[in-house]
Amino acid sequence: MEAFVPGIYPRSEALVQATRDLDRGRTTPEAVDEQRRDDLEQFLAVQRSAELDLLAGGMLAWQDLFRPLVEASDGLESGALTRFLDTNTFYRAPHTTSEQLRLRAPLVDAYFPPLPDRNLVTVPSPFACSLGTGTAPRVLAEHVLKPALEGLTPELIVLSEPFLARSDNPDVDGLAEALGVLHGGAPIALWITFGDAAPLFDRGLGTLPVDAIGIDFYSTSVDAVPSGFDKHLLAGVIDARNSLLEHPREIAEFAQRLEQRAERVALVPNGDLQYVSEPIAREKVARLGQARSALVKEAA
Amino acid sequence: MKFLTHEIGSLAKPPWHVKVSAGRKLLDTDIEHARQWGGKLNVDGHEELVELLRSDDFSDSQVAEVANWASRYALHLIESAGLDWVYDGEQQRTEMYAWAIAHANGFDSRGTVRSFDNKYYSKSAVTGPISLAEPYHNAEFEFLKSAAQHKLKIPVTGAYTLAIWSYDEYYGPTQGRLGGGVGRRDEIQARRAFALDIARNLIRPNLQALIDLGAEWIQIDEPGASTEEDELELFVESFNVSVEGLDCTFSTHLCFSDYHLFFPAIEGMSECRQYCVGFANYDSRELGTSAADRPGYDVISRFRDLPYEPALGLGVLDIHTDFIEPPELVRDRILYAVDVFGDPARIHVCPDCGLRTRSWDVAYEKLVNMVEGTKLAEEALSHSLAPAR
Repeated sequence: MEAFVPGIYPRSEALVQATRDLDRGRTTPEAVDEQRRDDLEQFLAVQRSAELDLLAGGMLAWQDLFRPLVEASDGLESGALTRFLDTNTFYRAPHTTSEQLRLRAPLVDAYFPPLPDRNLVTVPSPFACSLGTGTAPRVLAEHVLKPALEGLTPELIVLSEPFLARSDNPDVDGLAEALGVLHGGAPIALWITFGDAAPLFDRGLGTLPVDAIGIDFYSTSVDAVPSGFDKHLLAGVIDARNSLLEHPREIAEFAQRLEQRAERVALVPNGDLQYVSEPIAREKVARLGQARSALVKEAA
Repeated sequence: MKFLTHEIGSLAKPPWHVKVSAGRKLLDTDIEHARQWGGKLNVDGHEELVELLRSDDFSDSQVAEVANWASRYALHLIESAGLDWVYDGEQQRTEMYAWAIAHANGFDSRGTVRSFDNKYYSKSAVTGPISLAEPYHNAEFEFLKSAAQHKLKIPVTGAYTLAIWSYDEYYGPTQGRLGGGVGRRDEIQARRAFALDIARNLIRPNLQALIDLGAEWIQIDEPGASTEEDELELFVESFNVSVEGLDCTFSTHLCFSDYHLFFPAIEGMSECRQYCVGFANYDSRELGTSAADRPGYDVISRFRDLPYEPALGLGVLDIHTDFIEPPELVRDRILYAVDVFGDPARIHVCPDCGLRTRSWDVAYEKLVNMVEGTKLAEEALSHSLAPAR
């Protein structure tokens, strides 16, 4: 049993204030960068304290799930502010401006900060990137995502996928083709966030060419996971959209039920923790670690 | 032919107001801001504010006095731009959500969450029974009645938005949610109880208090209305419970949504006499009055067809950019809407949303051009309606 925290982690009150001050001309980009490094150190400390198995950088410089990739690419532009699912947080939806897509240069360290120890990186899934652009997921995978991931050496690449579970008629075959492009390096997880993944299993979610599948178990019935599930199951057991704090015992008991269906289970949030404030996220990560520790002790 | 123009709500707070409220030291540039804008907007007695801002410390009454000056400045800014119905850019409020919650019982703060980019909001959780601690717009409204030259439209955050922007630690189950233990129907039932309690016990008494003070037009702000596609009926119900039987003109502000989602639900919202809606954010910046030229406004015919024939507050300024809409672009957006509605009287003109994320320079230029563009549209229509010689 493992545990880790992919996705966008909330900014501390100090970083919130620094970025507000930056927008108002009251501080410098360098000062914000310094505060962001402090935030990263604190986030790493929280993960270490929770004894998580893979460290994450928290995507603290990402303005939304797509922006750094869009801004670093020819042929893509950020569009109108768009509500992110049913949250009160907005992102700029990517749109395609040319058929000649190309990542101009690798993303800078601020977006993929070098991390000590075993770590993971999160990027948007090709399906999420392609939504509304008219460009096939495979094209985005080949010309934007794959080059962006080159040179990185994580233990796990998490492809964050918030839209697939909410699409009426998702092109799972098109996604499979795109995932095939990304396959071959570090293990890949497709993280279905904030949605019911049950219908996707009927469409072949379990056979996609990835090493791990992430499921939001606040929206998905445990019965949706087929018995004998042979991929690494990232179990979304921390609710990133609710301030209620989870009980480690309840998580541990639930994880034991999952272990009867899947050989390998990791405990994760059901989406980006940025939808709760940093103090609450910190406590949720601690409880994630407590649940995992309880399971490891019991197994021993 | 004259179009009614109005603002939506928020305007940035001037730096001297922000710093005095926060107990931070003022810089010379802050005082210069007060002097320059006071002169530019012809705010009577602004030299008194400039003198006050030179103080080393501010008593509580002086902090309140500075807030009143901010309201005067914002009123003058909007009136000076030429808008018909005005307010003070919510200078006295912390923020549209936090201000309401701070005056309610039953909520606890849960920290800061990102809205977008480097913009954030404070988010609370409902933790107990909801009630109004005290009417929370009365003081500002009374002050503004004495300070405004133009008519006042009061923005009030709506029940559904307050519910959907809060965490629920009271109405829904607190355990047993993992693994599909709580279905969507349970979630909606919990939210319905939550939103209707806010409507009955918080919004409605607050509206009544404003009406008792002479409010003529209250705008119920519902930027969160379309957050959940399957809760539109609940949004409508919460609006109706909030305003039913109250003697005032009520409108609703919607923004940054797929507006098609609101139909047919809002057919049941007949007490809403106007919808002010953000469209410019989705529109082209090219001139033109055809449907192809105005992609951001493709949904407006559905507002036209509502059976109770409300007016449409047409958002013509994108509040998320510093791009200053030329008057001709504003004109063309209005002319397109008039063409679709066939009745200019049902079109009002406004920004997409509150302008608080723009500087005063940008906000002022945008509003001036909005009024100028409105006049161009009026001229164009008067020419087209003039009898042929």
